[in-house]
Amino acid sequence: MSVAALAALILLAVALAWPVPRVMAGLTAFRRAPRPALVVWQATAVAAVLAALFAAPAAVPLFLDGSGPVDEQLIPVAVAALLSGIVAARLLLSGHRVGTNLRAVRRQHRELVDLLAVHGDTQVRVLEHPTPTAYCVPGIQRRVVLTQGTIDTLPGRELDAVLAHERAHLVARHDLVMEFFTVVHEAVPRFMRSSAALREVNLLIEVLADRAAVRETSAVLTGRAIVRMAGGPKPAGTMAIREAPSAARVRLGLLDDEARIAGMPPALVSVGMYAFALSLVAMPFALLVGALTGVTAS
Amino acid sequence: MPTNPRNRLGDLERAVMELLWTTDRSHPDGITVREVHDRIGLERGLAYTTLMTVLDRMAKKGLVNRQRDGRAWRYTAASSREELTSETLHHTLGELAGDERRSALLHFLDESTPQELEELRAALAELERRRPDAAVDSDGSSDGSSHVSSGESSGDTPSPVRHRVS
Repeated sequence: MSVAALAALILLAVALAWPVPRVMAGLTAFRRAPRPALVVWQATAVAAVLAALFAAPAAVPLFLDGSGPVDEQLIPVAVAALLSGIVAARLLLSGHRVGTNLRAVRRQHRELVDLLAVHGDTQVRVLEHPTPTAYCVPGIQRRVVLTQGTIDTLPGRELDAVLAHERAHLVARHDLVMEFFTVVHEAVPRFMRSSAALREVNLLIEVLADRAAVRETSAVLTGRAIVRMAGGPKPAGTMAIREAPSAARVRLGLLDDEARIAGMPPALVSVGMYAFALSLVAMPFALLVGALTGVTAS
Repeated sequence: MPTNPRNRLGDLERAVMELLWTTDRSHPDGITVREVHDRIGLERGLAYTTLMTVLDRMAKKGLVNRQRDGRAWRYTAASSREELTSETLHHTLGELAGDERRSALLHFLDESTPQELEELRAALAELERRRPDAAVDSDGSSDGSSHVSSGESSGDTPSPVRHRVS
């Protein structure tokens, strides 16, 4: 009987979608290794999706095996088919919705920014506004947007740090990482979603971009840029929008990348994290093979 | 700069907005397609109907307003450059829901509260203490964290380097 492997697949899908991200979002020590941490997050999401999608094919041998009473097999088969079907449908729907929304918002925004820019080159646009703000509009026609307030507030080398940060986002296509997580996030039922997980992924992306800025300038210059950007004049009424504490403080603490992680050298921890990510993705495949060949029965 | 058709359309819209913004004092009632064509269409070798289409599109997008004046439309900018800039920046900050906002545009920073700002300054001082070598990096602002000021008045718009792409 391959019921055990099937049950394990379903259990894996549920665990990776619900309790695991909540636990992982609390393991803040691993923020010091942002790249492998992001890979682990991606592996978790991919493994959850695979486990759910594999449930239906894993139930096939059960369906074909006519030895037991029919109604005893019907329930696991129905559960598996339902799970895979719902997950596939929700993913497609969420992918379509999120992708369409993001592209529409970005295009509209890019057009406005192009219209309003007082100067700029092929990618950078400067808006005439006193509030220091910098962001990027990802996509095929990407833009880095700065306000005149940013240019006036930051000394040259700190401005370099901010630009290096934004360029890192665009070059490494961090928007695709975020889009993938947003799609998976919205595909799971609302009560299972973890905003903390999405925030954590977002933070890791920022930490990665900060590291690029540190490489191009220095930790101190990048730190100064963060503090100066946070401290610039603010337009009234924008403060209430925040739904979570600022990530700036955390990022500032992570600019120094030489620190040990949980008492171990970062390189060693990274290797362990990559191995963990790999085993996460391998798990649904192993369980599917187990279910199809019936090895778990013996 | 870019030469593909979509960007040329963007450049044209930009030129039209610039024209409407700079003529809003002298022509408070707006200007006609004919006038827009004379001012920016001729030098680009564009047909009158092209500008008519562009202005029509911009009206539908809400960038310009128009009013009947006899047989012609008179166009004005729907909002000033300053207003539209503020709106655009606010849009990036707040209008989108949390999750989607986060992935639509990647921001350098979220907003900070005054209390968080204090913590940020303390953390920066700590970082600068640990990395004294980096003081060499500072360019003209060698006074370090003590001058990372927040209270700069935003009353006067800082002098911009206006550099129009025409």
